[in-house]
Amino acid sequence: MNYFPDEVVEHVFDFVTSHKDRNAISLVCKSWYKIERYSRQKVFIGNCYATNPERLLRRFPCLKSLTLKGKPHFADFNLVPHEWGGFVQPWIEALARSRVGLEELRLKRMVVTDESLELLSRSFVNFKSLVLVSCEGFTTDGLASIAANCRHLRDLDLQENEIDDHRGQWLSCFPDTCTTLVTLNFACLEGETNLVALERLVARSPNLKSLKLNRAVPLDALARLMSCAPQMVDLGVGSYENDPDSESYLKLQAAIKKCTSLRSLSGFLEAAPHCLSAFHPICHNLTSLNLSYAAEIHGSHLIKLIQHCKKLQRLWILDSIGDKGLEVVASTCKELQELRVFPSDLVGGGNTAVTEEGLVAISAGCPKLHSILYFCQQMTNAALVTVAKNCPNFIRFRLCILEPNKPDHVTSQPLDEGFGAIVKACKNLRRLSLSGLLTDQVFLYIGMYANQLEMLSIAFAGDTDKGMLYVLNGCKKMKKLEIRDSPFGDTALLADVSKYETMRSLWMSSCEVTLSGCKRLAEKAPWLNVEIINETDNNRMEENGHEGRQKVDKLYLYRTVVGTRMDAPPFVWIL
Amino acid sequence: MEKEGLGLEITELRLGLPGRDVAEKMMKKRAFTEMIMTSSGSNSDQCESGVVSSGGDVEKVNDSPAAKSQVVGWPPVCSYRRKNSCKDASTTKVGLGYVKVSMDGVPYLRKMDLGSSQGYDDLAFALDKLFGIRGIGVALKDGDNCEYVTIYEDKDGDWMLAGDVPWGMFIESCKRLRIMKRSDATGFGLQPRGVDE
Repeated sequence: MNYFPDEVVEHVFDFVTSHKDRNAISLVCKSWYKIERYSRQKVFIGNCYATNPERLLRRFPCLKSLTLKGKPHFADFNLVPHEWGGFVQPWIEALARSRVGLEELRLKRMVVTDESLELLSRSFVNFKSLVLVSCEGFTTDGLASIAANCRHLRDLDLQENEIDDHRGQWLSCFPDTCTTLVTLNFACLEGETNLVALERLVARSPNLKSLKLNRAVPLDALARLMSCAPQMVDLGVGSYENDPDSESYLKLQAAIKKCTSLRSLSGFLEAAPHCLSAFHPICHNLTSLNLSYAAEIHGSHLIKLIQHCKKLQRLWILDSIGDKGLEVVASTCKELQELRVFPSDLVGGGNTAVTEEGLVAISAGCPKLHSILYFCQQMTNAALVTVAKNCPNFIRFRLCILEPNKPDHVTSQPLDEGFGAIVKACKNLRRLSLSGLLTDQVFLYIGMYANQLEMLSIAFAGDTDKGMLYVLNGCKKMKKLEIRDSPFGDTALLADVSKYETMRSLWMSSCEVTLSGCKRLAEKAPWLNVEIINETDNNRMEENGHEGRQKVDKLYLYRTVVGTRMDAPPFVWIL
Repeated sequence: MEKEGLGLEITELRLGLPGRDVAEKMMKKRAFTEMIMTSSGSNSDQCESGVVSSGGDVEKVNDSPAAKSQVVGWPPVCSYRRKNSCKDASTTKVGLGYVKVSMDGVPYLRKMDLGSSQGYDDLAFALDKLFGIRGIGVALKDGDNCEYVTIYEDKDGDWMLAGDVPWGMFIESCKRLRIMKRSDATGFGLQPRGVDE
């Protein structure tokens, strides 16, 4: 079958970079499988419990870059207890023992300890890049090890992690010889920052392109940092409170003007709005703007800034921008591809300021829009139909109407038709989140039309098992299905067990599935881990005479090649 | 806009959904409204420990269904973002907890909890400790005889000399503190002393 020597085939494979494509290549024949596995440098594992480190290393001995994801997505919303799992320690231990030349590690929703970070920092001479997203379990002491021991560190990117800040001197742990930093993101750190150490580090990092500061970096420090790093491409401003008449502010204005490479702006974790104008001179270059943490900036200031951002491709903002503000975005940002509008009022005072009008305006004004996350007060079918017509190119469509079960506010109908229009028009839709009042009908549409759908999030929707069945039977590419508070039960769960082999995972919480249903599923599918998370009282489930019919609080199942995991806490029952 | 705050939107779902047997629907569906109604009752499915269970955040629910209650994990905003949006409110909120303290010549910005001090003497001691420099606190007690002045920004955005108003009034209105060199303080634009009591 092979007309070419292995080295040639391998060279051809070098051009194939996506995981999906490389996985496909490895299935062609034994010879290609072998060549592919020895040449694979980047591996992506979407569920850390689907396999184990030993199998990973056996198959890909030349591994350089690893991405691992741990907890299920709903852990973001506090639906998964902290001790559930997702520990990175065994992975790092195994990688260290094997002496693989690890250079990059990217973790999402995993438990990382200082011990893990220390081991990581000492075990891989060429380690370059650490990206931690939504992780927890470590402190700034762990960061100090990374800083001190990774001689060629290029990226230290901490996104939305829960880090215990010991207010130590981790920044001073970067040796004077460390000049290789390209990315430094510590915005999620709560404590003080050694500004002197930070400024010296930035000054000796000529390749630094991305710098995201935490709250403890005041304005005058920002001005100094920007002055010594005019090559900055991606900046996360920390604290932004200042006196517009002060010398620091003048210095900042001057420094900003010199940052002609700046393309991405974020942060403003504490901000005084009237000083945003300092950034106006570089706005015309910005392609990405994240003001979603800047709660103190009112709509009018946001609008003034955005009016200068004609090249914006990505915008994350709070709903305080209002429908009127979104109209300004629609008329200004013609290159917009991704929009996220977050709620500014989570407690529910009803002050949310965006409605279906803002969404329609955006869809009409931004022809390149393909990803949206939109939290709003209300929606109508008519608006969704219009949005579908205006933007048939959606890849990700996530709509969150803040009040569960809310119908079309004009007609009082369920929103089945509106979402139906979206899935029908958007033939490339890969991710969808539903909200509002929805019946089984919307799932019929999804099963019928959403052929490319890989991830679906359902909450407070549907009437009967038929809803879930439409989705399981129709969406051939489904990978991650997560459902909460919907009336789907054992019938839907058990209808086609082999379906779960084609999916990464299924989450069902506060639904109608029973313990006996889950047990039957576990029996039929030994290649699945069927986990019941029951925080109240695990024993109660067994003792209760009606055990079989007891409803399961939280069910999380996923395919795996390594069987039951050994690190589950007592409240997780693996059937 | 919907009527807010009275929970009447819950009853709106029962009205005017044409062609639906609403009562039956409400029984079959584990609707949001059900959770509000039943989670304060003794439904055995609900968890007693107040931890997340079948959809009701028991601790937060009032008995009256009219009260707006919160469901755990809803709206689906990740916990990091929730914490950070609440934090903004609390650090700038006047009178509660932490205020920022800056000192001229020191590259660190510090935060301190005003609530943990009992009076100006305590505050003086705490400030000295915070920066590791003796003599800051002296200014509060001894007015004109030291190198530093301690000023604070009040609710209205004005900068005032610390130590003039009664302690209770001070912690209510202090938004942040700044320790300035006396030589820089003249001409800074401090509001005049002598608040009417």
